[in-house]
Amino acid sequence: MNQDVLDLARLQFALTAGGHFLFVALTLGLVTIVAALQTRATISGKPQDARMVRFWGQLYVINYAVGIVTGLVMEFQFGMAWSGLTHEAGNILGASLAVETIVAFFVESTFLGLWIFGWHRLNRWAHLAAIWIVALTAYVSAYWILVSNGFLNHPVGYSSENGELVLDDPVAVLTNPSALLAFGHVLAGALLTAGFFMAGVSAYHLFRRSPEWDFFGRSLRIGVFVSAPALMAAAVFGGIQFATLTTFQPMKSAVFSGKAAEIARLQAELSAEFGPGDYVPSEAWTRGGGLVMLIGFALMMYLCFAGVILACFKTVVFRFRFWHLVLMAAVPLPYLAMIGGWVFRESGRQPWVVYGLLKTEDAVSDLSPGTMRLSLTVFTTVFALLALLNAWLLARHARRGPVESGLGHDERPGRDDQKPDGSGRGDGSGEGHGPKPNGSDQGDGPPPSDPADALPAPRY
Amino acid sequence: METLAIALLAFFAAGWFVLAGADIGTGMLTPWLGRGDRERRLVLASFAPFFLGNEVWLVATAGVLVGCFPALEGELLSGQAPVLVALLTGWIVRDTGLWSRGRGPGPRWRAGCDAAVTSGSWTVALSWGWLLAALLTGRPDAPATGVTAVLTALAVAALFAAHGLGFATLRLTGLPYERARKLVGRAGRPWQSFALTGVLLGGLPLGAGTTLPLAEKAASPATLALLVPALLVVTPLLVAVQAWTWHAFRHRVTRPSYL
Repeated sequence: MNQDVLDLARLQFALTAGGHFLFVALTLGLVTIVAALQTRATISGKPQDARMVRFWGQLYVINYAVGIVTGLVMEFQFGMAWSGLTHEAGNILGASLAVETIVAFFVESTFLGLWIFGWHRLNRWAHLAAIWIVALTAYVSAYWILVSNGFLNHPVGYSSENGELVLDDPVAVLTNPSALLAFGHVLAGALLTAGFFMAGVSAYHLFRRSPEWDFFGRSLRIGVFVSAPALMAAAVFGGIQFATLTTFQPMKSAVFSGKAAEIARLQAELSAEFGPGDYVPSEAWTRGGGLVMLIGFALMMYLCFAGVILACFKTVVFRFRFWHLVLMAAVPLPYLAMIGGWVFRESGRQPWVVYGLLKTEDAVSDLSPGTMRLSLTVFTTVFALLALLNAWLLARHARRGPVESGLGHDERPGRDDQKPDGSGRGDGSGEGHGPKPNGSDQGDGPPPSDPADALPAPRY
Repeated sequence: METLAIALLAFFAAGWFVLAGADIGTGMLTPWLGRGDRERRLVLASFAPFFLGNEVWLVATAGVLVGCFPALEGELLSGQAPVLVALLTGWIVRDTGLWSRGRGPGPRWRAGCDAAVTSGSWTVALSWGWLLAALLTGRPDAPATGVTAVLTALAVAALFAAHGLGFATLRLTGLPYERARKLVGRAGRPWQSFALTGVLLGGLPLGAGTTLPLAEKAASPATLALLVPALLVVTPLLVAVQAWTWHAFRHRVTRPSYL
């Protein structure tokens, strides 16, 4: 085992898994809201409801695409950089990853394709069923991934044969508290991320006094009313997980609380049990991650508490511009808390990759440092570019507001804005076609290149 | 159980080559089939509803590999790490190009995305050739080198392109169709060429799989006894859903799609 390769492989896993996790957080939360919005739109048949599905669905799809491609790297990375893990624990870990890809992800992708491209082609109830299947399989996917992760954090239901772990009690693996509690925590966190995102984007438009005040007023309220209970659920699942740490991973909780005597005692205990070695995880990462998460939680709690009250008053929703600014600034908060909690969970269990069974340094593949460096450089660059692209496209489409082009645009002849092909096909060419609550005041001039430019300038 | 697990692996791998081979091949030929912005968008629309469902066959292949043959998965993937870096990068670039094409501003953005789709598709096809060169020569623990690797990569990429061309003649209309038809030639019917390349592509992973020590490196019986039946039950449902997708979008494309 080469120390360089180990460090590089850990860095690569941390950056790629962390990056992927952040995209997934928004995807998982937003798909739930989009499915709920589409249910309402399908039942009510109102154009405004359908526009909300398309606008938020568009942002969801942009984010989902980046989530998929970053997930591809995750899928192959276990075997590429951590072959010791699949070798030792593959009988359990591999099975849950296999079920995730086939039972969840395969179905999810197939139905997402149907949903995106089947707009105006499928029966509207079949189309609604498609998004619900996408949402449910996304949850199933998260569950199976957390079964794998739960096993790494708290191995159960296995027995050891010839130095290899074999599956002994599948029910114990599937109901591992470390997996179930994390699943609840992540789902709540995802909804929280989506709620803050929705409220922030809506606040931007209300701050700019968008003519779409009705659209974004309703969206802002949905965002606020989703994030408050989601925050509570995340806190409850997080609190229970924290309590289980004292039995599952006492060292993590000792390092987080900074109890030097307890750390020394556990270090001596673990050395006696597993042989000499350093069993204390990095204090900076473990405590730092935990603190970022808790500070994020505290800030979000104030915002959610105030938000739920403020959102009950219509005038406040439309006019309280300071609140709009705060909501816009708060969009990164759930991301920070999510990533902090994840760093806490994963770095706090070091030096173990499978807690108490396999050390991280024994799991890394026998790669040359050159190969590992190449892989790290390539994937980190690609992920950084993807994150920038995602942020830019999300901002672009969020800023533009609901337009008639893009997702769910009816491409059938005679139904759409068939224009002589100019420069802007599918690029804002739908300006002025949608129902506008305030009427359009743009006259017959040439359509602006970006509909967002046509909004009234902000007044400070 | 090992035999069934091998059959599942073969099924998903061959499925990826036949199905995704078509959209990767068409992606490789996009600049030749579609000459302008609008035409290229039509070419992409020919496989737009399917590419998401196609690419998961490879994800599922990797899933079966890690679930039923975990130790082999680790050895194979770490041995072929440089090839996989290339494969994954090509895959990511291609998908990003596809998803972003219609979302950014202006014709230059779209031309850039088209370039990403084409170069990404070529990278995926060439990387597969590189990977297959190592597998077919029976040396799965290190990337293939030398003339064999280059020739296999080029041959496999050509096969992908031919498969994509056959797919394009079955799906497209208008000028892009005419161009594809001209390249296929008038000798046979379009579906014959597509079926031939499909059989060849589907045979590639099967041939490569015979060189791998699959039966010896299978997961423990306890895992296989649960995993394999579960996957066998689900697989027909997955195939049925995908067949429904192909049925729903069976008509030739005449106008652009979401991408």
